Amino acid sequence: MEKSFQNEIRKIAHKTFEVTCYMFALDEMEMDEESLISDHTTEETVSSLVTFQGAAEGGMVISADEELFDAIAANMLGIDVATEEEKEGALCEIANIICGNTVPLFAKDGNICIINPPKIIKNGELYSDGFEQFYEESFHVSLDEGTAYISIFYKRV
Amino acid sequence: MKRNYLIVEDEPTMRMVIRKVLLESGLEIDKIYEANNGKEGLQALEKFPIDVMLVDIYMPVMDGMEMLDHVMSDPRFENIPAVVVSTENDENRIDAIIRKGIGFVHKPFTKELLKDQIIKMAGE
Repeated sequence: MEKSFQNEIRKIAHKTFEVTCYMFALDEMEMDEESLISDHTTEETVSSLVTFQGAAEGGMVISADEELFDAIAANMLGIDVATEEEKEGALCEIANIICGNTVPLFAKDGNICIINPPKIIKNGELYSDGFEQFYEESFHVSLDEGTAYISIFYKRV
Repeated sequence: MKRNYLIVEDEPTMRMVIRKVLLESGLEIDKIYEANNGKEGLQALEKFPIDVMLVDIYMPVMDGMEMLDHVMSDPRFENIPAVVVSTENDENRIDAIIRKGIGFVHKPFTKELLKDQIIKMAGE
């Protein structure tokens, strides 16, 4: 049984959103019922996938609901209306930072992980393809400007 | 003292973020130049009067460390202060960067952290 990394990743995500986008985590009590029962795979979401290899191989997917997708770019770049390209770039950068700060959790005996450039996954694409044999953890992070969904797939080498 | 900055980063969004943070940092800035990778960064150094470099590590074509190795072996550029801005977490690699006299800022970073590193490397 693999150790759960959810708490560590959640802390990394909170810090990343706070420092980079000036967004703050909501307490679970502040979440409305709809957020609690929502299933991100059925929402209009945009996702960014970052794969990695080395001490462990796998990938991390960060999905943002529409509200958050817009807000990430606006807050990161300090602009009112971001282009689609800027929004995707901003989400990819968030994914890059969160994954980059997560993979050291897998480092062992000097063996580290190298992450690959993030890519955008549009609604409907099956990001879990290729990760069927991997350990998976999925959870959401509630922020004052929307909800982020995080999935990590990994297999120690 | 107004300075010219060079941002070497392959992700356009991150270049915009670093530019925004620089402008909000309170540092005196003359011009901000941008390059897409280490090779373009070296070309920018040939063309423009750069005072401080902010460099990512992992980039296509030429990565940041290779670029900085070129910079440090060129007497024209070896004294230009450099700060690496990266998600790099490996302590050995970070130590190696710092031992070369290069500043290091870990992503995610605040404007205060970036400003402090720039002042540490380049002075007030």
